[in-house]
Amino acid sequence: MKQTYEEVEETYIKTLKGRTALKRLIKDMAKNRKQTAILIASVMITAIAATFSPLAIGGAVNGVASRSFSTIFDFSLLFISLALIQFGSNRFRVISSTILAQGTVKNLRDRSFQSIQHVPISFFSKVKAGFLISRMTNDGETLGEFLTFQIPSVVSGMTTVILSIAIMLYLDFDLTLYALIVLPFLSIFTISLQGKVRKNYLRTRRTIAAITGNLAENISSIRSIKAFNVESYTEDKFDGLNADNLNANIKASRLSSLYGAIVRIIEYTGIAIVVLAGAIELKAGLISIGILVAFIFYVQEFFDPVIQLSQLYNSYQSSIVGVGRIYGIIDSKKEVVSDGQITISSLRDSIVLKNVSFSYDDSNALRDINLTIRKGENIGIVGHTGAGKTTLSNLIMKFYVPQKGEILVDGKNIMDINTESYRNLISPVLQEPFLFHGSIYENVKIADPAMAEEEIERLAKEFNLNRIFDKLPEGMETNVGELGRNLSEGQKQAIAILRALCRNPQIIIMDEPTSNIDPYSEKFIFQSLEKFAREKTLILITHRFSMISLVDKIVVIQDGSIVESGTFPELREKKGIFSQMYDILYGSKGEGID
Amino acid sequence: MSENKKSFLKKIKGVFEPLLFSREYLKNKKWVIYLIIGFAVLSTATRLLVPIIIGAIIDSLELKNFNAIYLEIEYILILAVLSALASFVVNFGAQYSSQIYAYNLRKKVVNSMVKKKTKFFQDKTSGDLLSRTTMDIDASRNFIMNSLSQLIPTILIIIFAVGYLFYINMFYSIFFLATVPVLIFIGIKFQRKQRPHWMKIRDTYGVMTESIQEDITGQRTVRSYLQEEPQIDKFTGITDTYYGEYLEVANLRGFYNNLMPFIISAAATAVIFYGGYTSIVARSEVGGLVAAVNIFTMVTFPVSFLGRLIAFSENARAGIGRIKGVLDRDMDEDVLTGGDFPGSNAISLRNVKYKRGDREILKNVDMEIPSESFVCLTGETGAGKSSLVNLIPRLEDPAEGEILIGGVNVRDIPLSSLRKNIAIVPQEISLLSGTISENIIFGRKNITEEMAKKAAKVARIDDFIEGLPEGYSTIIGERGITLSGGQRQRVALARAIASNPKILILDDATSSVDPETELAIFSRIRKNIAGITVILVSLRYSAMKYASTVYELENGEICELENIDGLNYAMEKEGFENEADL
Ligand SMILES: Nc1ncnc2c1ncn2[C@@H]1O[C@H](COP(=O)(O)OP(=O)(O)OP(=O)(O)O)[C@@H](O)[C@H]1O
Ligand SMILES: Nc1ncnc2c1ncn2[C@@H]1O[C@H](COP(=O)(O)OP(=O)(O)OP(=O)(O)O)[C@@H](O)[C@H]1O
Ligand SMILES: [Mg+2]
Ligand SMILES: [Mg+2]
Repeated sequence: MKQTYEEVEETYIKTLKGRTALKRLIKDMAKNRKQTAILIASVMITAIAATFSPLAIGGAVNGVASRSFSTIFDFSLLFISLALIQFGSNRFRVISSTILAQGTVKNLRDRSFQSIQHVPISFFSKVKAGFLISRMTNDGETLGEFLTFQIPSVVSGMTTVILSIAIMLYLDFDLTLYALIVLPFLSIFTISLQGKVRKNYLRTRRTIAAITGNLAENISSIRSIKAFNVESYTEDKFDGLNADNLNANIKASRLSSLYGAIVRIIEYTGIAIVVLAGAIELKAGLISIGILVAFIFYVQEFFDPVIQLSQLYNSYQSSIVGVGRIYGIIDSKKEVVSDGQITISSLRDSIVLKNVSFSYDDSNALRDINLTIRKGENIGIVGHTGAGKTTLSNLIMKFYVPQKGEILVDGKNIMDINTESYRNLISPVLQEPFLFHGSIYENVKIADPAMAEEEIERLAKEFNLNRIFDKLPEGMETNVGELGRNLSEGQKQAIAILRALCRNPQIIIMDEPTSNIDPYSEKFIFQSLEKFAREKTLILITHRFSMISLVDKIVVIQDGSIVESGTFPELREKKGIFSQMYDILYGSKGEGID
Repeated sequence: MSENKKSFLKKIKGVFEPLLFSREYLKNKKWVIYLIIGFAVLSTATRLLVPIIIGAIIDSLELKNFNAIYLEIEYILILAVLSALASFVVNFGAQYSSQIYAYNLRKKVVNSMVKKKTKFFQDKTSGDLLSRTTMDIDASRNFIMNSLSQLIPTILIIIFAVGYLFYINMFYSIFFLATVPVLIFIGIKFQRKQRPHWMKIRDTYGVMTESIQEDITGQRTVRSYLQEEPQIDKFTGITDTYYGEYLEVANLRGFYNNLMPFIISAAATAVIFYGGYTSIVARSEVGGLVAAVNIFTMVTFPVSFLGRLIAFSENARAGIGRIKGVLDRDMDEDVLTGGDFPGSNAISLRNVKYKRGDREILKNVDMEIPSESFVCLTGETGAGKSSLVNLIPRLEDPAEGEILIGGVNVRDIPLSSLRKNIAIVPQEISLLSGTISENIIFGRKNITEEMAKKAAKVARIDDFIEGLPEGYSTIIGERGITLSGGQRQRVALARAIASNPKILILDDATSSVDPETELAIFSRIRKNIAGITVILVSLRYSAMKYASTVYELENGEICELENIDGLNYAMEKEGFENEADL
């Protein structure tokens, strides 16, 4: 019943099958035609130069035999020229293979990253960040290494195999068949192992992802780990995953080494078969000794790359599993909401929620919500924790799509509206402020990159947020650290508020914007907001009733339904849930509540 | 001169530095290494024997000695088995030991990471640390694997080839020896030039990891501010750098690594030319000359492999450099052993001064918190409240002054017993992926399911959890993403309460909880946990009313407020009341 994170991950991100992944990879790589051509050309030039080198030596030797200094000189020159050509072509080979390999990996990473920007938001509550990171970094790296260092071997290996077979066929057809006799065995052997090999490598990739996922979380929660003195538990848990990874790798490499060893036996058997068959043919007088000797030489030439290629088979499998996992991210289902046709540039009339019901998976979060937010209206949303306030704002921001009912923006269904143009109208202050690594200025500027720093400072003053930043020695230049860790929580919230206001939006959604800001500062902020908000549409979610002066209408949500709504005096009058909450805050000491 | 020689040797040794580094992590696996070495010799021997047997076969074919041929075929098959065995042992051995190395090293890195002071984490990003524990380790693992499996055969082949060269012609071998300093010179130059690029590659990898993590964590902000494109551009910039550095390395590899076999070919040319000349003059046999040239061709591949090893080695060294930054012990917490948590829960802070860098956050804090009291600490945003309470379980240490619990300096209480008895609910909640009950128990062996449930009740989250289809075994998303803000805080609260701590610190731990629930929680804590001292950091008037004493932190100093109406700043209540009579 209960799915593990790994199983959930698999349902959200499909891992491509080996062959499909390979096909796509080749297609992606071949897009860079120029480098592919250079690579193939340079490999061929190297191969040809290498074939001619022995001839040069032979020529020089003949020169010795014929006692001709000039012949020796000429062939020595040829020999060194061939070496120089190889030097040059190898150089190109290294560079072009790196461009192809690293370029492909870069491209895959970039596309995965793009894909992540467009998956449904719910994706992130299912798939661990560490898993995604592992696919993009670790799996990408394995592929990069394989391609950078091995593509040339693969290309040249295949060239040599084809060349040798051609020469062998030219020399003796029957013997060639004998030489190739082991190939079906090799193929069957390889194919029969394939499933197992793939499973092994999949396991190594999954276990490293588990390690990454675990560490990503642990490093982020290091303070709690220390505060609760659970270092050794953390170590033990990690050790379990680390050991899983070790075992997976050992198992995979045991099989791969065994495979390599058996391939060796197959190779030598192949040579033995040719020698035996050759000897028999020689005995029967079907073949000349010269041809047989040459043939034996080429059989070795042929087997060398075959062996090399099969040794690569394992790193190939490991990379192809990895690449399948990266394609999984690229292919993951995108937000359905992003294909709305209508673009809107302003809110003209209202946002209306009509019989909206929403549930996360199978837990009901909102039920039959009917709510009209008129342009310019300021609405307060209150309710107990877990009532569904944030969920409501998520729906309005189109992060989630309601299962029932509809949301109309100026009478048009939100699903038909282009998401970007719609979100452009809204500035949210999320319940959990998120800051990027960088200065306060940089964090605010994401709302409007063109904004001058003086302007930001002016607005900070206007909204009375400057008193919070003034305490920082470097003011707004302060580097906030990863996730704003160098600031106090209240300071982070202040930045999130400033960012939202700097965008000068038509609609502001604030989800407990001041839960960590002291009442004194809060009061100033709200005083300055009052004027600002009058021209805006404001949705304010709050537990702090001091803010209620800002809103025209209060909506009370309980257990996913709207239970009360009206102006402050109306709700006070009603003596319902709102009134009760209010009294607890400002009335008696709150004793007797339990 | 000798100075130069020394640094010369050092540079050569540098290539194998990762192998030296790995010794510590392969301590118990020495036998595997010996086995690998032994079988590598066998493997090389079989490889060298093949051409000899083939030669013999060709001789027998020419003589039409078929009986000999059958025998030689048998030899080949025997060789096949030996070679297969050797290749298995060498390859598996190399993989096995390199994996053991990675396992041990990773374990050590993680173990030393969790022992670091929190200060260590301040200027590092988790993405960067993550890459240090994964790919940086893998870079050196890769080098170790390649060296173990191929270094010995490579060197053996070179030695064998040179030995054979000596055997056939002393003079030709001088040509080979002449290349050695040139090769080493090229190798060192290659190594030196690659260095900065590999370092950049490893660092960039860390930055890449970090930016993915940041982007995922901030997806909602990214989307609502339409930051998708800027984020993609930023990421593409990073992968561009990464790609660019690899290209730089490829340029160097393309030149230097291919120069090495070219030098060998140049020497071979000299041999052909010179040898041909002398052969004509001396009217000698050419067989030796051909063999010598063949040997030169034979060593080109091993030599270029050694060149490639230099590249792997630099990657490994750059990774190891980063790993060492975590393994350094100088940022470790001082874990004392012995001593017990004092009997009394009274907390006193005396002349406490606390700095972040040069900035004084707490100037002179004096506080006396009586045992078993419920006190509140308040103050403006950024006043230093969190900084102050973090000093008590020693998540940070003050620059001056002392903190006493029951009269004992916290520095004299072993960290583990200190932190076992003080529970803190941090302002920034960190829940982990897993079930709710796992999050409450949080790996503490002395906490039972029952205690977890009781704690959930005190934190007033029990009704919610029990209402879930899977109850306490409900899996929550990473960072508790599938819970509401207030639910997250209450799970974290239950985690802190579960161990029945002697001191409970709530750092604005109920800011997302509605006031009604909040007050219910406080009253349950008081009723249900005997003998506990509670320090509540709060900005809410309603919460302050609940405390016996309210301290206000202002300008890095504490003032105790007899009654909350005396707060130095306008209260929430006042702020509201003025507006309420609209
Ligand atoms: N991503 C999610 N997946 C599954 N359930 C969720 C998710 N987010 C919220 N929920 C559940 O939906 C309900 C409503 O949550 P919501 O965040 O809207 O509450 P809220 O009113 O904002 O509460 P709070 O005041 O504590 O922030 C809660 O019971 C919560 O557990
Ligand atoms: N990791 C850090 N590095 C540098 N400075 C920091 C760091 N954490 C906090 N600060 C600074 O120290 C000061 C005190 O921060 P602290 O978190 O203690 O404030 P606080 O009183 O808890 O505020 P809040 O009510 O907003 O939580 C702040 O001005 C903040 O900028
Ligand atoms: Mg919420
Ligand atoms: Mg704080």
